[in-house]
Amino acid sequence: MVRGLYTAYTGMANEQKRLDIIANNLANSATVGFKKDSATNQSFDNLLTLKIRDKSEAFNDRPVGQMSLGVKLGEVYTDYGQGSLRQTSNSYDMALEGKGFFTVDVTDKAGNVSTQYTRSGNFTMNKDGYIVDGSGNHLMGNAGDIQVPENTGNLVVDSSGGVYADGVYIDTMKITDFTDYNYLVKAGDTMYQALGGATETVGSAQVNQGYTEQSNVNVVSEMIDMINVTRAYEANQKVIQSVDKTLDLAANSVGRI
Amino acid sequence: MMRSLWTAASGMISQQTNVDTISNNLANINTTGYKKEGAEFKSLLYQTIQDQSTDNSGNPKPYGIQVGLGVRNSAITSQYSQGPLMETDNDFDLAISGNGFFSVQKPDGGVAYTRNGSFHIANGNLGLTLSTSDGYPVLDTNGQPIVFDGTYDESKLTIDENGELCYPDSTGTAVGSGIQIGVVQFTNPTGIKKLSNSLLQETDASGIAKMEANDSAMQRSTIRQGYLEGSNVQAVDEMVNLIVAQRAYEMNSKIITASDEMMKQANNLR
Repeated sequence: MVRGLYTAYTGMANEQKRLDIIANNLANSATVGFKKDSATNQSFDNLLTLKIRDKSEAFNDRPVGQMSLGVKLGEVYTDYGQGSLRQTSNSYDMALEGKGFFTVDVTDKAGNVSTQYTRSGNFTMNKDGYIVDGSGNHLMGNAGDIQVPENTGNLVVDSSGGVYADGVYIDTMKITDFTDYNYLVKAGDTMYQALGGATETVGSAQVNQGYTEQSNVNVVSEMIDMINVTRAYEANQKVIQSVDKTLDLAANSVGRI
Repeated sequence: MMRSLWTAASGMISQQTNVDTISNNLANINTTGYKKEGAEFKSLLYQTIQDQSTDNSGNPKPYGIQVGLGVRNSAITSQYSQGPLMETDNDFDLAISGNGFFSVQKPDGGVAYTRNGSFHIANGNLGLTLSTSDGYPVLDTNGQPIVFDGTYDESKLTIDENGELCYPDSTGTAVGSGIQIGVVQFTNPTGIKKLSNSLLQETDASGIAKMEANDSAMQRSTIRQGYLEGSNVQAVDEMVNLIVAQRAYEMNSKIITASDEMMKQANNLR
C-alpha cells in the first residue's frame, strides 16, 4: 500500500520537471534561434513481484508478475526543426534555412578560446571590422574569424554564406552541421557545444541576409502540454490522497468496535 | 517547481523590456532622425537535473538531462537604416542620406553626434552660430563651430551635397565658402551610445568618429538642404512586435499560474 505513495510521488516530481522544460520553452518563445526542448518519460525498471510464505500455495514462492514503481525523465531532446524567418532588413541579421549552424569563436573571461555553434543570427560589426554576435564573439568563416574592412558601407551575404564587403569577396561563413545532434549540448545564450564523439559535416543551410530565424516553439502545443502536466500532477496528488485515506482507515477504523 | 516560476518570471521581465523598447519606438515615431531599437533575447544557463538519459530504445545518450533556466535580454540594438526624407523648405533643415552623422558641441565642450538636422542660426557667445534647436553649435570639418561674422546675408546661404556652405557671388552663382559641415561615420554604428535629445556619443564599441572629408575611401553621404530625416520606425512592425510581446508575457504568466496551482495541490496533500 505504501508503495503507491512513492509511485505517485515520482509522478508529481516528474511532472514538475516537465513543467520546468515547458516554462523554459515559453520564456524563450521570442528568442531568436531558440530550439525547443521536449521531454520523454520513462517508467522505472520493472520489478518481479513474488508471493511468498502463503499457506494456500503450500509455502512455495510464486511469481505474481512484474510491476513498475514509478516514472522518471527518459531524455530531454531538442527539436532542431526550422523556425520561421522574419524580415528585419538589417544587413547584419542572418537566418539559416536548412540544416547547419553558424560557427562562433568564443573567448571566455579566462582567455580560453572555444568553438560554439548557434542558429541565432543577429550579428553586428565591431570597431575592428569583425562580425560579432550580441556577446562580442567572432563569427567564423572558412579562413578563420571573418573580418571586413572598417569602412565597409555595404555588406552583402549570398545564400551560400559568401561575405562581400562593398563588392569585394572576403570569406565564406563556416556553416557546420553534425551527423548526430545527440552530441550537441546547449550551453546557454542560444549557443551549442559539441561533445567529444561529435562528427562535424558541412552544413547545407542557406544563409538569408536581412532575416532572423524565430524560435521554433509552438505556443499552442506548449499550452496543451502545460494543461497535461497540471492535470497529471493533480491526478497523482489524488492518488496520494486516496492512499492516505486508505491508510487512515486501516490505522483508525479497522478493528474498532 | 520553483524553477518554472523563476523561468516564467524571467520571460515576463524580458518581455517587459521588449514592450518598453517598443513603446519608446512608437513614442518617437515622429522624432526627427530617430533610429528604432529592438530588444534581443538569449536563453539563460542550462542546468543538469539528471546525469544519465536514455533514448527511446534504452541506449544511453552522450549527456544527461538539462533544463534551461529562462531568458534574458542580451541587447537592445539600434538600427541605423535610412529614415524617410521629408521636405520642409526650411533653409537650415538638413538631412543626411547615407551613413553619416552631424557633429555638435555639447555645453561641456565635448562632441556629440546626431542625425537630427533641424538647425537654426542662434546668437551665441561667438556671434551668429549655426546650432541645433537646443543651441548646441554644429561643428565643421575642422571641429570648429560655424560662426557668421556679419559679412553674409544668411538668407542667401545655400548648402551643397557635401555640406559646404555656399554664397552667391556678384553674378548670383553660388560659390563655396570653404566652410563645410562636418559629417562623420562610425565603423560600428550599433555601438554608439544614445544620449537624450537625439544626441549620440562615440564609445569603444562604435570606434572613433571618422570625418568623411578626410577619408577618400569612405562612401560619402549626401546632405539635403530643406529636408529633415524622419524616424525609421515602422508603425506596423511595432504593432506586430507589441502583439507578440504581450502574448508572450501572457503565456509566461500562465506558467506562473500553473506552477502556483500545482504548489497549492502539493500543499493540499494533507
